[in-house]
Amino acid sequence: MAENSDLVSLAVDLARQGGCEYSEARFQRTTDLTCFLRNGAPEPAAVSDAEGIGVRVIFEGALAFGATNLVSRETVKDLVARIVKNARRASEGLKDKVKFSREKTHTANWGVDEKKKLEDIQAETLISFLKEVDKSIPPSVSDVTFPNRNLIAFTSVDEKQYENSDGSKISGRIPRVGYLGMLTGLYEGKPSTVTVPPGYSGLGGTGGWELIEDLELTSLVPSQLKGITRGIRATARPPNDEALSVILGPNVAGLTSHESCGHPGEADRILGREGAQAGESFLKADKLGMQIGSEEAFVSDDPTIPNSMGFYLYDDEGVKARKRRLITAGKFTEFLQNRATAEIFGVESNGSSRAVQFDREPIIRMGNTFIEPGDWNFEEMLKETKKGVYIKSFMEWNIDDKRLNQRYVGLEAYRIENGELKETVKDPVFEITTPKYWSSIDARASDLQFTCGTCGKGDPMQGAPVFIGAPHIRLSGVRVGAR
Amino acid sequence: MMAEAKRQEQIAQFALERAKKLGCDDVSIVCSLSNENQVRFANNSITLVNSVRNLTLDVYLSVAKKRILGSTYNPTERGIERFLENLVRSCRALPESEDYVPLPKGPFTYNPQHANYDPNVVDAPFVEYAREAVDTSLSAGAVRASGSLNSDSTDLYIVTSAGASGSDKVSQILLNIRAFADDNSSGHGLSCSSYLSGFQPAKAGERAGNYAKRSLNSKPIMEGEYNIVFSPTVVANIIPVASSASAFAIESGNSFLTDKLGQKIAVEPLDVHDYGVFELGLGGRVFDDEGVPTRVNHILEHGIFKTMLHNSSTAKKFGQERSTGNAGIFAPRAATIVFSHGDSSLDEMIRETKDGLFITNNWYTRYQNIRAGSYSTVPRDAAFRIESGEIKEPISGFRISDSVPRQLENIRLIGREREWIKWWEVSTPTLAPAMMISSVRVTRAVGS
Repeated sequence: MAENSDLVSLAVDLARQGGCEYSEARFQRTTDLTCFLRNGAPEPAAVSDAEGIGVRVIFEGALAFGATNLVSRETVKDLVARIVKNARRASEGLKDKVKFSREKTHTANWGVDEKKKLEDIQAETLISFLKEVDKSIPPSVSDVTFPNRNLIAFTSVDEKQYENSDGSKISGRIPRVGYLGMLTGLYEGKPSTVTVPPGYSGLGGTGGWELIEDLELTSLVPSQLKGITRGIRATARPPNDEALSVILGPNVAGLTSHESCGHPGEADRILGREGAQAGESFLKADKLGMQIGSEEAFVSDDPTIPNSMGFYLYDDEGVKARKRRLITAGKFTEFLQNRATAEIFGVESNGSSRAVQFDREPIIRMGNTFIEPGDWNFEEMLKETKKGVYIKSFMEWNIDDKRLNQRYVGLEAYRIENGELKETVKDPVFEITTPKYWSSIDARASDLQFTCGTCGKGDPMQGAPVFIGAPHIRLSGVRVGAR
Repeated sequence: MMAEAKRQEQIAQFALERAKKLGCDDVSIVCSLSNENQVRFANNSITLVNSVRNLTLDVYLSVAKKRILGSTYNPTERGIERFLENLVRSCRALPESEDYVPLPKGPFTYNPQHANYDPNVVDAPFVEYAREAVDTSLSAGAVRASGSLNSDSTDLYIVTSAGASGSDKVSQILLNIRAFADDNSSGHGLSCSSYLSGFQPAKAGERAGNYAKRSLNSKPIMEGEYNIVFSPTVVANIIPVASSASAFAIESGNSFLTDKLGQKIAVEPLDVHDYGVFELGLGGRVFDDEGVPTRVNHILEHGIFKTMLHNSSTAKKFGQERSTGNAGIFAPRAATIVFSHGDSSLDEMIRETKDGLFITNNWYTRYQNIRAGSYSTVPRDAAFRIESGEIKEPISGFRISDSVPRQLENIRLIGREREWIKWWEVSTPTLAPAMMISSVRVTRAVGS
């Protein structure tokens, strides 16, 4: 990596010499290893080694980005010349000129400790691990068999060398490990596709191979299958009352924090910059402080959580990362900002800008978004619920592109009556508007849990690694439907 | 360009020889030179100009029936050597693959000589085209527009240890525009072509602006079942026949077509084909990642699931003589998806629907049970009530919640005109008509 620092500096300098008021360059190498086990047999392992330089400039208010993997002094000169030319072309008659917020400059070298370094972890280790997980899956659980078992493990190391014309020079290294599992559960001749954990979630984080070992998946996966198979076997329709209490498990509630708080609170969406792709937001620029939920609604995003999947200490605009309190006691208290949006909002950037590969522009991303824990526990919540549904986990979900109309369909779910769990219910549909959702929360447990996700945004699409998290929460006066 | 092509060939040949020297039994090398230009715009103003050029190498190799895939962005000789040495070392440590078959024996003849390609696309005045699209959307009634315009070309060279070699090139110019008449009223327009002559930014802008204007003051609708006319953009997303026909998806149990080969799964008039290259269409490839010539695969004919998409490994596993030319070595995939057309114009479909809905765009399709095909998706942009065979008031705030097998049986009308679709929600180039599907389930969220 160090051998490319001269080229990174060269790119920044050339852009400034070309008349740009701002420039930044990032050499990034992303080394991935992915192994896939299907029904106990390995598919071909996949190794990817993506490296190159990405350069972004502002010329008379026009923003341009470019990248190449052909890295030499000559190609960097060509790249910068092309980008400056593009920016110059775009600046003609430009209506909304881009300006970056003034931020503190940093010189830093940061990383993540690995007890078992990922560069020493080979494909055979991943496959042996997956075989152990596969063996731990019983032939059947409560008469549900698993004719299709698809298990994935990956390691990924992201190394970045960043520099900007303000004077920041930052090197970072992020090792990541992860696991995903997708199974077909067959019960009485009917197949159901499920993931373990549910909700297309993964497990893992930033660190060494020890993170995967610490998950103890050979115990966790069979344990989770007990609950999941209850969902597969369920036949009862969920109650059809208009005013129920719903307890959401961390698996479901975590995703709501990402989808209906994190995304609408992204300042680029609020300003319409993602309008034709990921969409806009029901929030407007003047809605900071708006009451969206009950006094029990607290949501944060914190990229500095150690070993989290969305971990970073400096973003890809050279801004130091910190925790962001997005909803506090029901009010939107902070939006996710990059330097361009921060300038418009008249605030400092809160370090939310990330690019997933060298040839992608940095855009506003969540890191680790979660509902803050409260002081209840699950048993207390249940005991004080007269009539309701407990949706422990889910599979299907979606939300409209303004983030107002969301839906989660339960996988493992139970009817609640007089403080007790009753029969399992099939595919309960929790479909609710965002204000109604955050306004209906009346209890949060202390059992905050995280899973891993890949957040899709941008054009070209960038899948960013994130944590999503929540404790058990309860909502009252809401409706549940059936599929 | 000739020099670049020669360079790709030299890099691929170098990698092949190096891999063979390292003891590999099978080697496939695909060298890609991509040149991507993009302009993004929002609120009628350009927000970013993007320019990415990459020369990359995709490698498949086997040693003693052990298999591995690799992709490197370091195409220098030293970089390739290091990458291959690591790859071979990793490969040797793997268990034997039960699915190993030798690479298909070449040489092959590729016809046509290349996929849909226009040399003018990559140097197209894309910034000016974007401005043209925005201006026409505003003229049609929008107050602001957002979107992206891509003009890309890719040159490919393949060489395999089994004697296949050849080159290919493909271009595409894609416009995705979303126009707004106010914050709650939007319309969507696409223009997708491999040729500048087929690219119509003004038409896409006009459609987006027109739909946006007609979407003002939308109303909620009741939950229930409706006869719905879906635009080609929506059809290309919610009828996932081609992706579900991949042997990989079927073998993994992640397809509603699992165990359905030879069965009638859709209404009789519906055909879905995979074209390696659809002449004068969008994208495509003349060879797959094993060097096998691509071809036309009749996935669905007269509603019957006829053909699974294979590479050579999955073909053997499913008892087929040969690959269908759809490698992906890891997972077979369609190159170009082509739906059959019907005989109704959109106006006729609206008229015959009499009472129902018209949905122009959607996003966020997710499955409760992929194997069963049960899913929901969120309409976005313009949607309308159909009453007495005419488009009436705009509607919003609802969701489609149904199942793919059920919908395939409920297709009542197929449009005469087809459109090329490729955008955020549809990654494989798809030629799709509008469709009217009966008794589609619609839900809506509780709360204001």
